[in-house]
Amino acid sequence: MTWLYHPLQIPLGLIVWGVWFIALYSGLSVGCAVAPPDAAAGPWNWLNVVLGGASLATVALLLGLSALCWRASRRVGQNERAKRFIARVGASVHLVAALATLFIALPIVGLPPCV
Amino acid sequence: MIEGRPDELHQQFDEVWGNPRGWRAATIVNHTRIGLLFLLTGLGFFIFGGLLAMLIRAQLALPDQAFMDADTYNQVFTMHGTVMMFLFAVPMMEGLAVYLIPKMLGARDLVFPRLSALGYWCYLFGGLILAASLFLELAPDAGWFMYTPLSSLPYSPGVNSDFWLLGITFVEISAVTAAVELVVAILRARAPGMTLQRMPLYAWYILTMAMMIVLGFPPLILGSILLELERAAGMAFFDVARGGDPILWQHLFWLFGHPEVYIIFLPAAGLVSTMLPVFARRPIVGYRWVVVAVLTTGFISFALWVHHMFTVGIPHLAQAFFSAASMLVAIPTGVQVFSWLATLWLGRPVYHVPMLWLFGFLVIFVAGGLTGVMLALVPFNWQVHDTQFVVAHLHYVLVGGMFFPLVAAVYYWLPHFSGRMPSPRLGRWGFWLVFGGFNLTFLVMHWTGLLGMPRRAYTYAPGLGWDTPNLVSSIGSFIMAIGIATVLVDVLLHFRFGVRAAPNPWHADTLEWATRLPPTAYNFISLPSVDSRYPLWDRPDLVKEMARGEQGLAAIAHGRRETWGTDAVTGEVREIIHLPGNTWLPFAVALVLSAVCIGLLVKAYAVASVAIVAAAILVLRWSWENGAYEEGGTAVPISAGDPPLHWRTHNGPGRWGMGVTLLADGALYAALLFGWFYLWTVAPQWQMPAQSPLDARGMLANALLLSAATLWLRRVLAALRRGSDKGLRGQLAAIAALGLLQSAHLLWLTYASDLAPKATAHDAVIAVVLGYALFHCVLAGVATGLQAWRAHYGYVDRAAPYEPIVLGQLWYYNFGVVWSAYVALVLFPSTWGGG
Ligand code: HEM
Ligand SMILES: [Cu+2]
Repeated sequence: MTWLYHPLQIPLGLIVWGVWFIALYSGLSVGCAVAPPDAAAGPWNWLNVVLGGASLATVALLLGLSALCWRASRRVGQNERAKRFIARVGASVHLVAALATLFIALPIVGLPPCV
Repeated sequence: MIEGRPDELHQQFDEVWGNPRGWRAATIVNHTRIGLLFLLTGLGFFIFGGLLAMLIRAQLALPDQAFMDADTYNQVFTMHGTVMMFLFAVPMMEGLAVYLIPKMLGARDLVFPRLSALGYWCYLFGGLILAASLFLELAPDAGWFMYTPLSSLPYSPGVNSDFWLLGITFVEISAVTAAVELVVAILRARAPGMTLQRMPLYAWYILTMAMMIVLGFPPLILGSILLELERAAGMAFFDVARGGDPILWQHLFWLFGHPEVYIIFLPAAGLVSTMLPVFARRPIVGYRWVVVAVLTTGFISFALWVHHMFTVGIPHLAQAFFSAASMLVAIPTGVQVFSWLATLWLGRPVYHVPMLWLFGFLVIFVAGGLTGVMLALVPFNWQVHDTQFVVAHLHYVLVGGMFFPLVAAVYYWLPHFSGRMPSPRLGRWGFWLVFGGFNLTFLVMHWTGLLGMPRRAYTYAPGLGWDTPNLVSSIGSFIMAIGIATVLVDVLLHFRFGVRAAPNPWHADTLEWATRLPPTAYNFISLPSVDSRYPLWDRPDLVKEMARGEQGLAAIAHGRRETWGTDAVTGEVREIIHLPGNTWLPFAVALVLSAVCIGLLVKAYAVASVAIVAAAILVLRWSWENGAYEEGGTAVPISAGDPPLHWRTHNGPGRWGMGVTLLADGALYAALLFGWFYLWTVAPQWQMPAQSPLDARGMLANALLLSAATLWLRRVLAALRRGSDKGLRGQLAAIAALGLLQSAHLLWLTYASDLAPKATAHDAVIAVVLGYALFHCVLAGVATGLQAWRAHYGYVDRAAPYEPIVLGQLWYYNFGVVWSAYVALVLFPSTWGGG
């Protein structure tokens, strides 16, 4: 599992978060341009379900990666501090990214999309 | 390794690294000097911007003032905002980083010294052009964010907006060059043994800031180019009637503008995280959490831009996303604040002058953060939008978050500039005057805002309840100005009366204190190896060992400027980076570019074209002076046991520099494609021709042609890496010819496609995409031709395979550009209606 010690692990969680955010915003805009759901129906409509589902999947992915990194960080020996550092920072960043995803996606449960 | 006594060694180093005087000072590329020039120029612009602020406050002091008319007032506040944001805050922070980073990393210079020199001259000339506009009474007057359509031709017919668009683009190019430079130096030129987790925190902050500049500035550069094309060439992008949308400008602007706030704040926070532990006399608490917080801030701040647009009519759900992200970004800032407080709490702090300013920073910045969280709440935002409340908030964050740490840093690093220590007396007066004056001005301004006074109003009627608070604000701002003057006097006087500084006078932990005070042009006579995060705390003798020439790379008899190239993660030595020496090229290129800028301003297009050609020739000449460009070709001696010079490797710093530059370039292109899709979905009167003006088959053929050339180059590069340069020159020449052929074909396609960029935004965007692709393809073709020529001279071969490998990335990039243009311009329209 050497990829868990690759320096790209450090920003990876936030890159995933960034891709998710772009997809969320552009998905919302395009969805509203193509087939806007009825505002009266409230938050339960196809667009919110799709966006919410994608967000939950992203959260799950990030939490999974975080756990992998954390375990990897405990596997290294004393003389491999650089590796441990990368895995630990990676784990923290993934966790932070997961929480950020969850928090930003929260309004999906409460608001209709296109008004 | 040691060739003599340190004094003799110093003399020899001076011969190779020394800075010339007189006119030839313009040839200096050394980072210490360039950093200083950045700082001094930034100070000049700060004083200029500060004087403008005082003019504003004088005008607003009393109701119905006629000190300035509305038109002048518009120019003055626009210039104040523009100067402070673009000509003071960012260049100052980058300049300080340019000065400090190599020293902190234990290197002799940044990795592309000529690039930082170019950045500086572009900044100076661009800034002067912009500042000149005010004296010509032609200054931009549409506010520092230049909203369209106010800044578009119908509403701003003079050249005022053009000054902003051209001048700022020029300055931004400077910001991006410095950012590329800093990223690569931090990743690839650290002291041996400085692994990622031993990097000084400041380097993490600057790395993040520089990456943010690399990704955040290009959208604005694109916006400026588009707006200038609309104004000067009549193309349509932001004009609703022709299928554009002024809101696109706001997106492009704030896509840059919000990260900009953190681009200013993060380096300042980095200064705090560097100084605070030194005065607390213990390592910072939670190094790893600070790193995570900095990275998180860097990323999340890109998702906030829409919070500046809550009032333009964006769907509620989208607003809620951006509102949530805005609140979220306060958390990593909070983590840093707690880390600072904990460090102070657990340490044994000593109080020197810089600590006063750090204290002022903590108080003011936290207050500014709180009003920021208030503004992130959409309903409250609607209440105070475009009132003085926002102006107050923004100054709490900017002045508190950037100016206070900056002054602390000036005091802290004074011994570097003068060899002397700051005096404790006058400095205290300066601090309390600034602190008091600042709060008097801006605390009260929150109240003025809540009373409903709009921002950017040049005067107001008496009796609205705004008289008293405005007068108080104005008095406060003059007190603050006196305070700043006191600080300046203090700093000037200390050059004469300050006590001489001992080595490492603050007992700091970082390597910049191992130089002489003030430092020599080469920083260190021998380069240290590091085995901890706090090298000067853990090995106090290091300073003397380095000065005696007992550490690495102390040979200079070969006459080359050198520093270590190390692995980005482990900090192991990989190569010797061979640095270029003093040259006129950066100065000349910047001079010619300002001729382009002025030529465009006064619409002397012939002059501008000539200057562009001259710039291209100079830049090609510049690229010639890389690696081995003199007699003897690649047969350059190095001492036994040393790693190779970087241009004999496959993965030197140039490769990383090209990669980071292409990231910036890609951000610009992505913003362009974003504009295409944005207008497509949102512009109220988007007009599509019944038949696409582009020749679909021709576009496909063109992309295939480019792909063939790219794949061929790929094979050549693979062979080079394996150590074979058979037929290198001929193959490179053929690939160059193929590339130029493809460019010619693209030009013809553009020409034959019958685009009407003045009639519709649809065609205008296509024209820009094609122009962009064309520019890059020509560049790759010409540069490859140049490589063939260098191969002919024997400067490039299997012993020196570096340059073609660096260039290869541009080809891969172009591959991506041309194919994505094909998808966006040909495939997408034909599947999505139209075409
Ligand atoms: C030195 C003390 C300063 C004072 C007294 C001051 C004063 C002002 C005032 C009164 C305005 C409002 C103009 C209006 O609403 O019509 C303003 C705007 C602004 N200031 Fe400052 N300022 C100072 C420093 C700074 C600094 C250090 C920065 C940035 C680093 C800055 C950035 C801005 C910006 C971006 C605007 C908005 C301009 C616009 O609306 O287009 N200011 N300033
Ligand atoms: Cu913002």
